[in-house]
Amino acid sequence: MKNRISTFSLMSQLFFALILSSCHKDYSPEIVVLKKGNLQVNMVHQVDGKALIFDSLTYTTSLGQHYMVNDLQYFLSDISLHELDGSWLEITDSAGIHYVDAETASSCQWLISQQIPAGTYDSIGFVFGLDKEANRSNRFPDPPERDMFWPDILGGGYHYMKMNMKWKKVGMPETMPFMFHIGIGQIYSGNTANPDSIIGFIQNYFSVKLPAVLRIDNNKSSSVEIAMNVDRWFDGQNAFDFSLYPMGIMQNQLGMYRACRNGMQAFSVQNAIPN
Amino acid sequence: MSMKKSWILYFIILTVFIGSCKKSGENTIPWTTIPYLITIPPHFPQKLNIPSDNPMTVEGVTLGRYLFYDGRLSGRTDPDSLMSCANCHVQANSFVCGINNPKYTNGHPFGITGIPTPHFMLPMINLIWTDHGYLWNGSISDENPAVQSRKLEDLVWMGIVAPHEMHGDTGRTKALIQSIKGYPELYKNAFGSDFVTIKNTGKAIAQFVRSLISANSKFDRFLQGEVQLTASERTGFVLFMTEQGGDCFHCHGGDGNPLFTTNLFYNNGKDSLFDDLRDRYHFTMSSSDIGAYKAPTLRNLVFTAPYMHDGRFKTLDEVIDFYSSGLVWSPSISPLMHHIATHGIQLLPQEKADLKAFLLTLTDSSFVANPAFARPSRMPDEN
Ligand code: HEC
Ligand code: HEC
Repeated sequence: MKNRISTFSLMSQLFFALILSSCHKDYSPEIVVLKKGNLQVNMVHQVDGKALIFDSLTYTTSLGQHYMVNDLQYFLSDISLHELDGSWLEITDSAGIHYVDAETASSCQWLISQQIPAGTYDSIGFVFGLDKEANRSNRFPDPPERDMFWPDILGGGYHYMKMNMKWKKVGMPETMPFMFHIGIGQIYSGNTANPDSIIGFIQNYFSVKLPAVLRIDNNKSSSVEIAMNVDRWFDGQNAFDFSLYPMGIMQNQLGMYRACRNGMQAFSVQNAIPN
Repeated sequence: MSMKKSWILYFIILTVFIGSCKKSGENTIPWTTIPYLITIPPHFPQKLNIPSDNPMTVEGVTLGRYLFYDGRLSGRTDPDSLMSCANCHVQANSFVCGINNPKYTNGHPFGITGIPTPHFMLPMINLIWTDHGYLWNGSISDENPAVQSRKLEDLVWMGIVAPHEMHGDTGRTKALIQSIKGYPELYKNAFGSDFVTIKNTGKAIAQFVRSLISANSKFDRFLQGEVQLTASERTGFVLFMTEQGGDCFHCHGGDGNPLFTTNLFYNNGKDSLFDDLRDRYHFTMSSSDIGAYKAPTLRNLVFTAPYMHDGRFKTLDEVIDFYSSGLVWSPSISPLMHHIATHGIQLLPQEKADLKAFLLTLTDSSFVANPAFARPSRMPDEN
């Protein structure tokens, strides 16, 4: 039995070899070398279309609340490039995860080391934050990513975003800190945010797909500039009222939900520059 | 190959090797060192802050330990004028001088000539992971305009000359150490030359300081699933880790950052007026750093009183009372101090006790008793 099978397979291999060699005789196929280029993603941060200025109480929300931004750090992940025909390419460089600190220029410029097939792409997609699978506790032992950790009792993994701010409205004598922090949300059985009454968690990450005419040329490097329009986090469909969340929003799913609904509109492609 | 045969082979190779050395006119066996291996505790950072020109070696750490404990580092031999790092950095107190220090009242050290140090002490542990500069204001870092004041190594010559520390001069220290029997040989083992230099002195002491790793507390064993926390410790842990609780973790780490510090700088709301010329602001000149200091590690707190850069709190209870209801607003208060609106986290007495119980799970008693970090039983010239 054993012998018979191996004889059979030997025969069939010979047969294939014959076919292949006969092919070679008839055609000399052109060897197609895939044309590939590089892409650099540049993040810029803006308020009302102008570069964000840190530590200065110069901004006002649609609700008339004044704010300043002190720190802005976040994760982008699952970056993908989409073609007109609906196919897409996923970036797997650094597991597709990129950490941005808006005050650290090097982190705002991500040169993707992965080679990208040349062609024209019509949109760029990413996940704001980390998706459920990527958002594993202790995956980043080193700073700065480490300092984004989200306590295990509150769902674990990492802050998708830390925007540390101060705000003020009419009648308030001083600016007050506000931690615009987003990550995994919790559902509490009671009406207080007591971690012992957590009955479930909510993945608050969201996908963004931005139209962009993006050309990757062979052996060349292209860049795309993505803007986070910081004001959109507060002035979207759910005008964000800082005074509603005296304790922050990490343990307030409604607050994070409203923030994320706005955040979905916070990104835009500024420029896509081939070469 | 049998044992016997391999020994013969080894012998032949050795003879050939030595012979070849002779041929090239060198009589000595080449200088080699044994790497000092760092075992990274679970979840601790993988990136170690070891300068490329000062790799950790067993010989370097050995020499560094002698020097760290040798009062003659001050360059003097008179018993009153001896001073070493260990005068202030005491192992039993997790390397601060301690509130019960017989010499330094209230835990505030002073130099040989009586000048007090500008700040109180920082626990000198886990510095192999310090990544944003040493000292309360982080000024010993690559951002320092003075190239000779950037590394852990540099704190050694600085300590020798500082008026509030050894108040000496490096030439005298060098000459004295060179003259002490045993040291030249230790320098030779560590650095290949028996010539004592301040550079190599700094390197050796820095190696010893980098070896001071503390990661064996009850909380570490809890994270490894080896022990349970008591109900009170667990409640304290939840307070520590939640925004609506105590919200300590944003600055001091926690289960995702077992160093229990971010090594970053914050104004944690102690004052409204600022006159310290050595705060973070006076290094960065950024107004958001006024009154900001490094958030110290919360490991081994039981040994490290008094607390804060100016030692203003004598007990952990005082610290917890401060975070509970003593916060003061200022324009540069950290945006992470969101409980400022209510002057603090407003803990009930039981919650204060729970938070304290949790903080005490960060105690590593084996570290303060580890013989490898203790004063050597004999100095090199006593061997
Ligand atoms: C007179 C007491 C005294 C002596 C002696 C002394 N230190 Fe210190 N050390 C201090 C004080 C006080 C601080 C905190 C100073 C500050 O940040 O303003 C400190 C801070 C440090 C730090 C920074 C820790 C951190 O977390 O950033 C290191 C490292 C250090 N010392 C090493 C040494 C070494 C090495 C020696 C011996 C060469 C030494 N010290 C001698 C008092 C002393
Ligand atoms: C905004 C950041 C921040 C937060 C939040 C914070 N701390 Fe601190 N903590 C600091 C800084 C900065 C210092 C040092 C300040 C100084 O020396 O002037 C410090 C010092 C301490 C010290 C003294 C350590 C020593 O060795 O002197 C203890 C204890 C402490 N904090 C515990 C806590 C606890 C408990 C909480 C939560 C209730 C907390 N901290 C919240 C930043 C913070």
